[in-house]
Amino acid sequence: MTSHIPTVARKEFDDAGRSKLLWSLIGLLVGLVAIGYTAIWYTIDDVTAAEVLNFLGLPLQVIIPIAALIAGYMAVVGERRSGSIKLLLGLPPNRTDVVFGKLLGRTAVVGVAVGLAFLASLVLGAVFFGSVPFADWLGFAAVSLLFGTTFVGLAVGVSAAVSSRGKSMAVVVGCYMVFVALWELLTAGPYYLLYDEGPPIEAETWYLLLEQFNPIFAYTNLASSVVEGTIYPFQFQYGLQSPEAYQMTPAERFPGDAPFYLQDWFGVVVMLAWLAVPVAIGYYRFKRTDL
Amino acid sequence: MVAIETTGLTKEYGDLTAVDDLDLTVDDGEVFGFLGPNGAGKSTTINMLLDFARPTAGSATVLGYDAQAEADAISPRVGVLPEGFDVYPRLSGRRHIEFAAKTKGADDDPDDLLERVGLDPADAERPAGDYSKGMRQRLATGMALVGDPDLLIMDEPSTGLDPHGIREMQDLVRREAERGTTVFFSSHILEHVEAVCDRVGVLNEGELVAVDTIAGLREELGGGATMTLTLADRSGADARDLVRDLAGITDVTASGRTLECTVTEPPAKADVVTAVAGAGASIADVRIEEVSLESLFTALTNGDTAENGGITGAAEADATAVEPEVTR
Repeated sequence: MTSHIPTVARKEFDDAGRSKLLWSLIGLLVGLVAIGYTAIWYTIDDVTAAEVLNFLGLPLQVIIPIAALIAGYMAVVGERRSGSIKLLLGLPPNRTDVVFGKLLGRTAVVGVAVGLAFLASLVLGAVFFGSVPFADWLGFAAVSLLFGTTFVGLAVGVSAAVSSRGKSMAVVVGCYMVFVALWELLTAGPYYLLYDEGPPIEAETWYLLLEQFNPIFAYTNLASSVVEGTIYPFQFQYGLQSPEAYQMTPAERFPGDAPFYLQDWFGVVVMLAWLAVPVAIGYYRFKRTDL
Repeated sequence: MVAIETTGLTKEYGDLTAVDDLDLTVDDGEVFGFLGPNGAGKSTTINMLLDFARPTAGSATVLGYDAQAEADAISPRVGVLPEGFDVYPRLSGRRHIEFAAKTKGADDDPDDLLERVGLDPADAERPAGDYSKGMRQRLATGMALVGDPDLLIMDEPSTGLDPHGIREMQDLVRREAERGTTVFFSSHILEHVEAVCDRVGVLNEGELVAVDTIAGLREELGGGATMTLTLADRSGADARDLVRDLAGITDVTASGRTLECTVTEPPAKADVVTAVAGAGASIADVRIEEVSLESLFTALTNGDTAENGGITGAAEADATAVEPEVTR
């Protein structure tokens, strides 16, 4: 049987391309880059385009997940609720084609948005700061694309796993809240209970590994290793750790040589896991459900 | 060849049995009407044929392929007009048809197809979100026709259509049938089915209560009629005993000067008149009400609560007569 994934993905892309929401997200991303670059150019003298790239880290780590989650959380469940999925599945595409076609199509949409934002940063960097830090730029763009894909996968997976829009939104918003607002409570909190103290800089290995599994940390750690300077994760802080600890990656906090799973590059594995596991669960559930 | 065959097909939702041990065969090339009131289990059955829902027990084959295990072999050969579907609001009508053609590897001309279902070129360019319910129904029908399917499965195809649109839909079904396409469609309205179907199956509360040709159903019903005699010179009660035991008369009620008989065998009507007149009564009037197919349908699907007792009687007799057909 021929796969209909590309055909479904293409339709998704066409459909999403006509959505106002998507264009506002692209406008937001590109606009942020343009405004930020102009502001830096206006206020700070003697800065290189490579250093300015670093500035992108903060807005992107907030906007990319939100954009990707919005682009994806209705992917499958939206069609189930409206009934267009019956039209789609009445045609040769099967449920596998639907889930992976949607994942591909919506990833492409988010990819275009992120790609355009980076294109803007490249052009503006050259215009305002007179240099093209191509290697840094390419690496950062690639990591950001992976980061976007991760959240599209999370959202599409959730949208395939549940039966109502409300549930999909609740799970997706819940995940984002956990990553940004509750992570420290959920990781350092139990640490505090176990050891009667918040995690020190040289915390237990399990804790450092847990820190690795926040996809936003994974992104900022990876991005920091490809651009000049450090990109700090945007997080709600509850003061359970020392101020220095917040600024360090698990690899830096580990005494001596960090094992592979605490290295920055392991963030790639973490992001792929946050992509693959929700998609697998969503796919499994969607394959078995009655529509 | 058999286009659709279900064997003991059952679907339960918790305590509710939506489809109960359904055995149904639709032959290749026929137009089969799947009748039943709303909630009878028609859509559930169709959803199982299309692998939208999985049976609790039993199995179904479509075009010889298992509906669940070999669904991928079925979908390219089948055109589906689902129930409760929606279109992609941002995509044009034409893009919908093109998408369907792409997935089916068909080279149909989208304009041709859109014209066949009654959407003009200006409509085809508009986003389908602007379409009325009837236009959406037409568009989905067009998508179902892409690639000249061997079997058309249509769930309540007349939804959202005005009487004119319904006639067009019936013409379309007839044309498809002439091309050799098997058509399986459901409806809760008998007259939409009556005009085009070779055979009908009547589903009620998840169970098949009758399967026959329209003509067969009529025949089963036979002279099924209510005959009302108005007597000029005596009360109905006096004449009652004259006709009560006649063959082909099932129920006799008298009130005032009238006598109401339920007739199951057409020749019995003459017997009633002969018997009453033969006893010396003078008949002022005779009225005969044929039981319509619609009331048979109502009786089959709603036996106990049919408003006219006479019709219920006839239909119950008929439902029993149909029984062997069902269990065949």
